[in-house]
Amino acid sequence: MATFSWPWQYNFPPFFTIQPNLDTRKKQLEAWCSLVLNYQKSQKNYILDTTEAQNSPLFYNKDINRRLSTDGIQTVLEELRKRGNVEWKDKAGKQCIIMWRTPEEWGNLVYKYITDRSMKNTVCTLYELTHEEDTENQEFHGLEDWLLLRALQCLQSQGKAELMGDEGVKFF
Amino acid sequence: MHRRGAGIAAIKNKNLAQARYKDKGTEIAEGQVAQMAKQMETFKVHLENFASQHKEEIRKNSEFRVQFQEMCASIGVDPLASSKGFWAEMLGVGDFYYELGVQIVEVCLATSHRNGGLIGIEELRDRVVKSRGKKSQDISIDDLLRAIKKLKVLGNGFSVITCGRSYMVQSVPGELSMDHTSVIQQAQNTAYVTVSQIKKTLNWETERIHRALDYLVKEALVWTDDQSSETQYWFPSLFAGAMNASS
Repeated sequence: MATFSWPWQYNFPPFFTIQPNLDTRKKQLEAWCSLVLNYQKSQKNYILDTTEAQNSPLFYNKDINRRLSTDGIQTVLEELRKRGNVEWKDKAGKQCIIMWRTPEEWGNLVYKYITDRSMKNTVCTLYELTHEEDTENQEFHGLEDWLLLRALQCLQSQGKAELMGDEGVKFF
Repeated sequence: MHRRGAGIAAIKNKNLAQARYKDKGTEIAEGQVAQMAKQMETFKVHLENFASQHKEEIRKNSEFRVQFQEMCASIGVDPLASSKGFWAEMLGVGDFYYELGVQIVEVCLATSHRNGGLIGIEELRDRVVKSRGKKSQDISIDDLLRAIKKLKVLGNGFSVITCGRSYMVQSVPGELSMDHTSVIQQAQNTAYVTVSQIKKTLNWETERIHRALDYLVKEALVWTDDQSSETQYWFPSLFAGAMNASS
């Protein structure tokens, strides 16, 4: 937590009240979206429970005694969903998956890594992509399996890769 | 009844006298003008010498620059009137202010998404100095105000609002009335105002307060905060925590 640097808005009390002016609200949601993604990224957290979230430091700044209301949180998450960063796990909107990079963006990162190393037309295992030493410096190192799979499926639909079973992948 | 005749000779005499007075008057005036011109010429020469001798200092030292500007103004010389003028060429001051103007516009644009186009002069100066890099000379508030004044030729996009002892620069079109600036002044220290606070200090009708605040909200200059006993109207442009924000 010590490493996470909050944006200036976090200490700005009206940031926690959804703004009536549409232009201002747009800027506000913009700032909220990047805050949520950065925070989740720093926490290496994918799942967000909306009832728990109300008391998380993300939406509740104790120092200035301001919190984003449930409606506010829903508005922010809905905005993120539109951008492809959030997927609801249930219809009631209680739990969601937050992806600070969309599967497509992850896919592009992996694909760039592969092409940079002329590893096209070779077969890799999913494990070696995310867990072996070779990729230690890559952002997708340690990426969760389900998300990697989604990323590769994206590449597959673009014709850049083909999944082989659940464990291997070949790039084109 | 005796009546002095208005003879032709009398009229002629009168006209002649008048013509003589006139001639003498012109003569004296000419002499004065010539002397004045000579004095001004000498002064100008001295000022030019002074300017070229202290060129570096004028460019580097902001206080010196203010005094030089004032001196020029008192004799009706505007070193910024044209970038091609003698003064601008001699001193490069024209370029200095035009450059500053461009940097001011850049800073205002870059921060407008946050502050709605209203920025405190101190923050503006900090950001301009930062954008000029380390080798930059001192920039004073006076320099900024002069440069902004020059931006007026581009239209009414930029205006300076006096707030107590400080200034704020507005870079979005949209007129701020006296009421609005009074409200901004009220927020100088805390960065926010409330209806009851304005009522207490300015003694306005509630209706008038709401009209002013609603306008500021509409212009995206203030944000509203509903999570305290009374709605607070916050100015991001006055909020200290935002002054050093990179975005």
